[in-house]
Amino acid sequence: MSESPERSASIGELVLSLRGISKNFGAVSALTDIDFDVHAGEVVALVGDNGAGKSTLVKILAGVHQPSSGTIDFRGRAVTLPDPRAALTLGIATVFQDLALCENLDVVANIFLGNELSPLRLDEVAMEMRAWTLLNELSARIPSVREAVASLSGGQRQTVAIARSLLLEPKLILLDEPTAALGVAQTAEVLNLIDRVRARGLGVVMISHNMEDVRAVADRIVVLRLGRNNGVFEPDASNQDLVSAITGASNNAVSRRAERLRMERDHSGNAQAGEQRP
Amino acid sequence: MTAEKSTSAPLALDRADARVKHEAGLSGAVRAFLDRVRSGDLGSLPVIVGLVVIWTVFTSLNPVFVSSSNLVNLLFDCSTVGVIALGIVCVLMVGEIDLSVGSISGFASAMVGTLWVNQGWPVALAIIAALAFGALIGSLYALLFNRLGMPSFVSTLAGLLAVLGMQLYILGSTGSINLPYGSALVDFGQLMVMPKWVSHTLAAIPGLALLISGLRTFARRRAANLSAPSVTGLILRVVIITVGLELIVAYLNQSRGIPWMFGLFVGLVVAMNYALTRTKWGRSMTAVGGNREAARRAGIKVRAIYLSAFALCSLFAALGGVLAAARLASASQQAGTGDVNLNAIAAAVIGGTSLFGGRGSAYSALLGIIVIQSIASGLTLLDLSSSLRYMITGAVLAIAVIVDSLARRSRASHGRA
Repeated sequence: MSESPERSASIGELVLSLRGISKNFGAVSALTDIDFDVHAGEVVALVGDNGAGKSTLVKILAGVHQPSSGTIDFRGRAVTLPDPRAALTLGIATVFQDLALCENLDVVANIFLGNELSPLRLDEVAMEMRAWTLLNELSARIPSVREAVASLSGGQRQTVAIARSLLLEPKLILLDEPTAALGVAQTAEVLNLIDRVRARGLGVVMISHNMEDVRAVADRIVVLRLGRNNGVFEPDASNQDLVSAITGASNNAVSRRAERLRMERDHSGNAQAGEQRP
Repeated sequence: MTAEKSTSAPLALDRADARVKHEAGLSGAVRAFLDRVRSGDLGSLPVIVGLVVIWTVFTSLNPVFVSSSNLVNLLFDCSTVGVIALGIVCVLMVGEIDLSVGSISGFASAMVGTLWVNQGWPVALAIIAALAFGALIGSLYALLFNRLGMPSFVSTLAGLLAVLGMQLYILGSTGSINLPYGSALVDFGQLMVMPKWVSHTLAAIPGLALLISGLRTFARRRAANLSAPSVTGLILRVVIITVGLELIVAYLNQSRGIPWMFGLFVGLVVAMNYALTRTKWGRSMTAVGGNREAARRAGIKVRAIYLSAFALCSLFAALGGVLAAARLASASQQAGTGDVNLNAIAAAVIGGTSLFGGRGSAYSALLGIIVIQSIASGLTLLDLSSSLRYMITGAVLAIAVIVDSLARRSRASHGRA
């Protein structure tokens, strides 16, 4: 009941604020001194090369890993996320890269896993209806919600995982590579969905390697490199700037110049690619 | 007819996708069943086929095997190890194992003997103490597993020896304690059978319950614009189940009738089946057995689930031990040793609960123990030694695990869990 006024009033309010987050796995520093903000009604894209620490950051926010140091503020309060349940209760929903579905359970059971209706006498009919409603909102193409997830394709599993994240009406959604396994139409549906979620005043964090998808929906693009912040970009930043930030070439004026000269030499292909982009 | 009705009606919520075959009506249900079996989703089919083979062989060798009185004895014998096997189903569901159930059952029977006969405790209190001890041992395994990461295979193997030692210790030099004949506990284990009207009434309940719940589900699904299974099929199932159960009961009533102890066992199986399939706890058990990390990320308290599985398993093992003591009217050093352990585990696996976790049913304990006890009873009737019994039971177990593995591979290649 208290949710609707909060949700409508809070557009632009700071939902999540990380300060100085570090995470070590033994001798390896996966994240070093990360600062990261998400506002309500904002889509933040998290980009970076393989091993940049994107998934680690998402797992910290989902309560799967605990940070070695640093603070997490969620909706103005300092919080700790000791386990996934704590994150879910706060209103942080996550779609993991490996989806984290139980293959031996059917679609309905997976969507409601941990949040079943009437725990002592499972309400299968109500759960199946809600599951279809969620899946239809995503324009999902799931043949049957009573089939085990093992029989679904990669894209269908992705849709099930996204449907599950929406079940609890979260305040913040973390999507780790949400479009990696999807076809053209379903990618568009997921991007539409992200737009709809943003319009409802939720914060969205999206990890993606697909710059086109990132530009299409993101309000800000945060670049990680080797576990550190490496710049924040507007979605209209040039591809070259982004790629440089991701690969680390931008720190060096000489390399930037060399890159530019090389680009100019074989400019024809690149120029066409730039014009084709809408 | 049902098929035509559903196609002419507006498209149900779950029937909008044209690519999926939806079998409708009775013939459709049969086709869907054959389809499932072919792709490796066997359910209880192998064990039922196995049971038919075993019974046919033993009956042809000695017709006494299917006599009513022999079957009643069979049911008495099933109940004790069957309850233990029910506990094994719990740990197998989460993909773990408990090798110490035999020792725990032996220790529980020794506890009841010592506390009740030697120390003069009320029998109910002695039983409760034995059950509490069982649950405690299970909780200890869960603690070792959850906090120290000790594999259940090793911790329960250690428990097997330690608890066996405790059993020998409390029985002391006498080695065995006789429970008094004529006491309620021994009567329950050896004599008490249901009056005919009770057994016939109880045999009618499953069909009735299925009918009522089936019709309610049908109405609710229709109201919710979901496709509903055919009513004809439901009624057919109800009729088959009711008639079958009533015939079995009538046959068994020709001699002594249905043992109350077996009634207790079946009651526990039905309760566990409900808990595993229709509650949040059961869903969590299946999820943890299927993909532990996914269950944890869905917010399930995985450690609590493991705790409940291990504690329930040991609790059922202790209860099985108490029932075994009642059945034998004694608590001895031999109780729970020998083949009890492996029979209980074999029963769960033969019944169709997967060793790999995440797949299984409480009914597998019931079906599996009937297979094992049938072999034991048939070979006893043929006057064959226990050496042969071990070999045959071992072969049946091996076949059951092979069927499980093959079915698992086939399911994987057919895209089923």
